[in-house]
Amino acid sequence: MAETRGPWADAYRKKWTWDKVAWGSHAVDCYPGGCPYRIYVKDGRVVREEQAGSFSPVERGIPDMNPMGCQKGACWSQLLTAPDRVTHPLRRVGERGEGRFERVSWDEAFTDIADAMLDALQEDGPESIITLMTPELGGSPARLFADVLGTPTTDGNAEFQDFSPGWHLTWGVFNPTASMDDWFLAELTLIWHANPVYTNIHWYHYVAESRYNGGEVVTISPDYSPSAIHADYHVPVRIGSDAALALSMCQVIVDGKLYDRTFVQEQTDLPLLVRKDTARFLRGSEVNEGDRDDQFFWLDSRSRIVTPAPRGTLATGDVDPALEGSATVTLKDGTRVEVEPAFERLKRRLEDYEPARASKLCGAHPDAIRKLARKVATRRTKIFIGWNSGKYYHGDLMERSMALLLGLTGNWGRKGTGTRSWAVAGWDSFVFLSQKARPGQDAAREYLQNLVQMRRLIAQDDPTQTLEMISNRAASMSPELSGMGRMMPPAFLWYYRYGYRDRWNDPKNHDPSMKRSFDAYMNEAIEKGWWDASYAKAYQEVSPRVLFEAGGNILRRQRGGQKLLLENLWPQLRMIVSVDFRITTTGMYSDYILPAAQHYEKLGQSMPSVHHLNWVLCDRAVDPPDEALSDNEIGLRLVEKLEERAAARGLTGFTDRAGTPRSLTGLMARATLNGAFRDEEKMFDEALRDSAAYGILPPDASLDTLREKGHLRWTAWGMIGHGQAQASTLRPDEVHNPFRWHTEEKVPYATLTRRAQYYIDHEWFLEAGEELPMHKEPPGQGGPKRRFQLTSGHNRWSIHSMNMPNRTLLNTHRGEPFVFLNDRDAAELGIEGGDKVRLSSDAGAMLLVAKLTPACRPGQVILYNGFEPYMHEQWYSQSDLEPGHVKWLGLAGGYGHLQYRPLAWQPIPADRAIRVDVAKAG
Amino acid sequence: MGSLTESKRQLAWVFDLNKCIGCQTCSVACKVLWTEDAGAEPMWWMSVNTQPGRGTPRDWEKMGGGWDDGRPVLGKLPTPEEFGGGWDFNYDEVLRGGRGRDAHLTKVGGSKTWGMNWDEDEGGGEFPNAYFFYLPRMCNHCSRPSCLDACPNDALFKREEDGLVLRDEDRCKGAQKCARACPYKKIYFNEARKVSQHCIGCFPRIEQGVAPACVRQCPGRAAFVGFLDDPAGAVAKLVRQWNVALPLHPEFGTRPNVYYVPPLAPAPLREDGSFDEGGSRIPPSYLESLFGEEVHGALDLLRTELDKKRRGQGSELLDTLILYRWKDALGHLDRDPAEIVWD
Repeated sequence: MAETRGPWADAYRKKWTWDKVAWGSHAVDCYPGGCPYRIYVKDGRVVREEQAGSFSPVERGIPDMNPMGCQKGACWSQLLTAPDRVTHPLRRVGERGEGRFERVSWDEAFTDIADAMLDALQEDGPESIITLMTPELGGSPARLFADVLGTPTTDGNAEFQDFSPGWHLTWGVFNPTASMDDWFLAELTLIWHANPVYTNIHWYHYVAESRYNGGEVVTISPDYSPSAIHADYHVPVRIGSDAALALSMCQVIVDGKLYDRTFVQEQTDLPLLVRKDTARFLRGSEVNEGDRDDQFFWLDSRSRIVTPAPRGTLATGDVDPALEGSATVTLKDGTRVEVEPAFERLKRRLEDYEPARASKLCGAHPDAIRKLARKVATRRTKIFIGWNSGKYYHGDLMERSMALLLGLTGNWGRKGTGTRSWAVAGWDSFVFLSQKARPGQDAAREYLQNLVQMRRLIAQDDPTQTLEMISNRAASMSPELSGMGRMMPPAFLWYYRYGYRDRWNDPKNHDPSMKRSFDAYMNEAIEKGWWDASYAKAYQEVSPRVLFEAGGNILRRQRGGQKLLLENLWPQLRMIVSVDFRITTTGMYSDYILPAAQHYEKLGQSMPSVHHLNWVLCDRAVDPPDEALSDNEIGLRLVEKLEERAAARGLTGFTDRAGTPRSLTGLMARATLNGAFRDEEKMFDEALRDSAAYGILPPDASLDTLREKGHLRWTAWGMIGHGQAQASTLRPDEVHNPFRWHTEEKVPYATLTRRAQYYIDHEWFLEAGEELPMHKEPPGQGGPKRRFQLTSGHNRWSIHSMNMPNRTLLNTHRGEPFVFLNDRDAAELGIEGGDKVRLSSDAGAMLLVAKLTPACRPGQVILYNGFEPYMHEQWYSQSDLEPGHVKWLGLAGGYGHLQYRPLAWQPIPADRAIRVDVAKAG
Repeated sequence: MGSLTESKRQLAWVFDLNKCIGCQTCSVACKVLWTEDAGAEPMWWMSVNTQPGRGTPRDWEKMGGGWDDGRPVLGKLPTPEEFGGGWDFNYDEVLRGGRGRDAHLTKVGGSKTWGMNWDEDEGGGEFPNAYFFYLPRMCNHCSRPSCLDACPNDALFKREEDGLVLRDEDRCKGAQKCARACPYKKIYFNEARKVSQHCIGCFPRIEQGVAPACVRQCPGRAAFVGFLDDPAGAVAKLVRQWNVALPLHPEFGTRPNVYYVPPLAPAPLREDGSFDEGGSRIPPSYLESLFGEEVHGALDLLRTELDKKRRGQGSELLDTLILYRWKDALGHLDRDPAEIVWD
């Protein structure tokens, strides 16, 4: 009889052996990333990887986070040897886009690139060197020159558009982010503008487990999405009408007095008084001589006296702020004006969304709206949002409405409530490393003390400022302190240099409530100096000359499409560099492709994410192949070459537009603290030890301790990134839920009114009628008369386009780009499953295969994004259907929290609900 | 013909279809470990399909096999076209061919009409009451394996110690009777080596106390493994104690050892758009066609336990499915593979 013995059995046994194990992870923007993996190496080659499953339980009674990972992670090592891998520096020999390259030495490549950069500096100024901030933290070291030279980096939240403008308008911060284990504690999870079954594979289980724990799950999406299948209810909301649904639930809650009165009084601006004559908040400067413009007032419901709402605390003290009624106030000039709490105005607005009326807008049955509203009002509720809403033209209104729903019901600032976004923190040590006076942790502590002093200094004018407000102010003043380069909002660069000006001025791409031309708003924003610190004027004069991309893929990603870029931006560029481990579509259109190490071939940090609160090690399991180098090494060598070429050309420095003189000597010394951190291991170890000195990691943190455990849980937030914005204290044995400083300690919010702000009395918002949340239809972007609306979202099989060409993963779906159509729509158009179809909008057209399903809503077209343009016939891809325009209100400024700082308030492009036509391709 | 002896102990798998999100991590984990060699390219010993759907191989449920009156039935032998996939791509032509936009990435070789997950997320029903769920499938390591009986070369055997149904690939002569006899159509043919191959239950891992790759790597925490006679293990509880995990197509008669917690679904919508709380989005008859009549009791039990939890009462069943400690899914096979040092 046969047994598990013999050559066949031994062959299988031999397959599952290795000679070395290393820690690894994938520092990518699947968010949170940072899944601890074990990398198995045999004969110097990575043979496979597997989740480590090494996280310890955090809080009693809550499931652990193991085994974080996904199918991309399970075959990640294939990227190391994939056919699209680059392992030698390549220089273009054919036309851009032809894909003909020759091997050159690193020295030749760096010399050519450095000279082009120096030419640009000399002839067009530092703003002509464009660096794109792309999601992958691992790519940023290659962009080191931008820090050293002070050239601008485009803001990632506009580049990859993972911003939630409505969250920012409400809370002054776009990303309150709970640790993923907190999701277990929700009694009601609304999956809304998200598809976590595709995009949060590594921690979706908490949603399923919260349901097994007695919670309910409701998925709100136009289609019966893959994330609806495990829900208790699916609400098939009409595309783009989410604000109407949310506001209708708010109406039910306000009308039925189901709201959390104390929470509303204390945490929100709804008790603040608004003038009936101007519709603006009553302000201190109008009432008392010398008083602040950002002093607001409320009405005590018992004494009927109007008093200033405290700016230094959310605590209401002896006052019971009225939510209803009105009062008369005498201004400093003697005028008497009528005022009322913002809540009164909200109540009137909500009348438009009584369920029977809202039902016509959003398609949900009035009973369903009432039922859901009551659930939200009585349960610990979370909204599982992705970054889909923010990509709608009126996404700000949707998010403000959703935030209103949470605010009326007291659903944030305690475990099992709130919403989510992306947030990273805790890499202070890497940013501060070369700015220290000398190596060592004493120098780190000194640096930190100086930084704290500096912040105290900038906070002197207003002692009521919170740590978060001070951090925000510091970031507005010095964007480079964000730790991601000298960031600028790219909207102005796009407008003047990428070819968007005509599109953004085309009224049919905009809402009818935009009263003036886009140009008029643009000019006003610039004239008023709202964006002065942000290169608002530079690109009226400066042409981009050098485009440097590390770990991104602009020709796939840029909303507006590659055609626009190739026709407008590309001809201006004298040097295009793609630093990547693979050949992307952008690489094909570059002048140089510089071969970077892949994750297992370099020492790296994972995405230090608030979702898991850990520092996860990506170790160098193997050396990079051939001539490939780590991004850090590429970054340093380019800086070295810049210094060498500048010296050879007799260039000692330049002056930037702000008039700041910048030196071209001593660059390497500045970048490496006089050579102390030239070595990667040394640098990494020092950074980890500094992290301990800053209190972010445990006291014994070092490269050795990290190599032992593979991950280290944070002990504090640090000053860089979004830690302070979480406004909660990290506790070693508890899940993290943000905003507890606000709800528990009454620390004010970093908004104009210092409360969660639903009433935005900025003149432009008043003009648009958007001072309060409301529903507006998506404009007809793409062509108002076209029959279908394109929605999309991240695909299941790839992080952006990174894993998309992977053979194994291509074999897990159709193996080619496809689009979902509703089965009955398709039948009407004579389209069968598998047919090639043409999607077209006013912006462009593309070809791909149709897949039919009743899960897709009639009139909807679902195209999960991330396919490389080169996977499409003729290479036109999804972004070519998207006009890539921005909502004009994104340019608003000069108003409290409506001010630029990196990754925060700015115009972002809309790419959802694009109008398209679908036809069988001839 | 192999001999049909009962194993002393039986290792079994449970997949919770209310946690499975169709991510294919199990499939990919298995693929990169076992089926990357020449001739194995189109194989997916582990695969996940959208139900209702045609699956892989296409329309496998109609291909036949199993038992009839004590004799193995030789059903249809699936063709490579029906299994689908096996695609390579013209990377070099696109990336290094110098043709620019005139060349785009396309499939080279493999099936023209199908793939292992071709009808992903298509499902059934009619909008807004569409429905679908994910079904992971692997060799069932059956207690009455018809494949074993059908083999003319005595290559297949069922292990006494854990009931895995394995193939001595040195004895296998590629007759493919096993593939015809398997009603689940989870046996593949290696064209390069001219032998059949199927899931080996990750026996080299099991020998070291490590759980199979599909279970240990499941990020949805939907997969469980363990002995059916280990009363402390999650698998035995779900299968034997609560009868909430059921075999797929029990009528095939092979007594499979992969079990499924059947899927719940959102309340369907009435014509007017209101929630029909008592209604079934997935037709019960469809679920019954997959999991037999017992599916109704299993779903009722799940609903009862969910209701208990919602009323603040405890539920040992749901606590087991919650899986507070991930390692509890791995049963006795909870060793960390990274600890192993090979001689």
